[in-house]
Amino acid sequence: MARRSKRTHLVAGELNLTAMIDVAFQLLSFFLMTMKPVDVLALMDVSRPAPDSKAPSKPLNVLTITILPDEKNPFALNDTKISKENLDMMLMKAGELNPDQNVIVACTPKSLHSHLVDALDLCSKAKLTKLSVVSLM
Amino acid sequence: MRHRKEEEPMSGNLTAMIDVVFQLIIFFVVTTNMQQQVDARIKLALAPHGKSINDQAKDPREIKIDVDKDGNIYISKALLPPSLLTSIIKKTVAEYGIDVPIVIRADGESKHSAVQTAMNAITASGIYKIKFAVLKEKGK
Repeated sequence: MARRSKRTHLVAGELNLTAMIDVAFQLLSFFLMTMKPVDVLALMDVSRPAPDSKAPSKPLNVLTITILPDEKNPFALNDTKISKENLDMMLMKAGELNPDQNVIVACTPKSLHSHLVDALDLCSKAKLTKLSVVSLM
Repeated sequence: MRHRKEEEPMSGNLTAMIDVVFQLIIFFVVTTNMQQQVDARIKLALAPHGKSINDQAKDPREIKIDVDKDGNIYISKALLPPSLLTSIIKKTVAEYGIDVPIVIRADGESKHSAVQTAMNAITASGIYKIKFAVLKEKGK
């Protein structure tokens, strides 16, 4: 009896990639849908004046920005109401003349924190760095 | 003579597509920030001229005090009464020194009275330098 030779047919290796591609696209869709650009945060340095019994009775040469509870026109510079644009202009001038100018930002209890931040931002824009925040009664 | 055409399964080279898909996935996995930097309840006020947080050295002792728009004060999402806030800061100062950086993250719509409460607690501990966290640029 003649012996039949067994021939093995070699087939190129095949891998079913369907499941992997499904998962990959699921992941891709998830990240695309949930991606949210990150907000850039910043810090504003301020001082809180320490109660000092030896404080001079004469007022120092300082700029005082008052934050009022008024929603529309919340700024006052040295007790005079002022618009945000004019405050910006005045602070820019003050910053050009003397960058070491002391600025006191006084807030009333009902004034909004965003207005305080606006004032601090304008000071930062004018390169005024000696900032103090006080609270009015 | 009838020719019988054998139907062959469609096949294409998927290697390039899979490469691109994996590159995209890796990009998103690496760039996604799972941990929110600021509590979602607090909407910081916008200040485009503030000093970017990335330019400043991070101090591991830093205390972050959150103030929401209703005037509630939190540290690490734990609601605190003013007296407890003062004692926490005093204890931290006693342990780590007077130069502990303190950041107040207050909601833009919060009233100053709430921020004042936090600031008073800080100054009661002998710290007179405070940082306000603000939003320099909103993610588009």
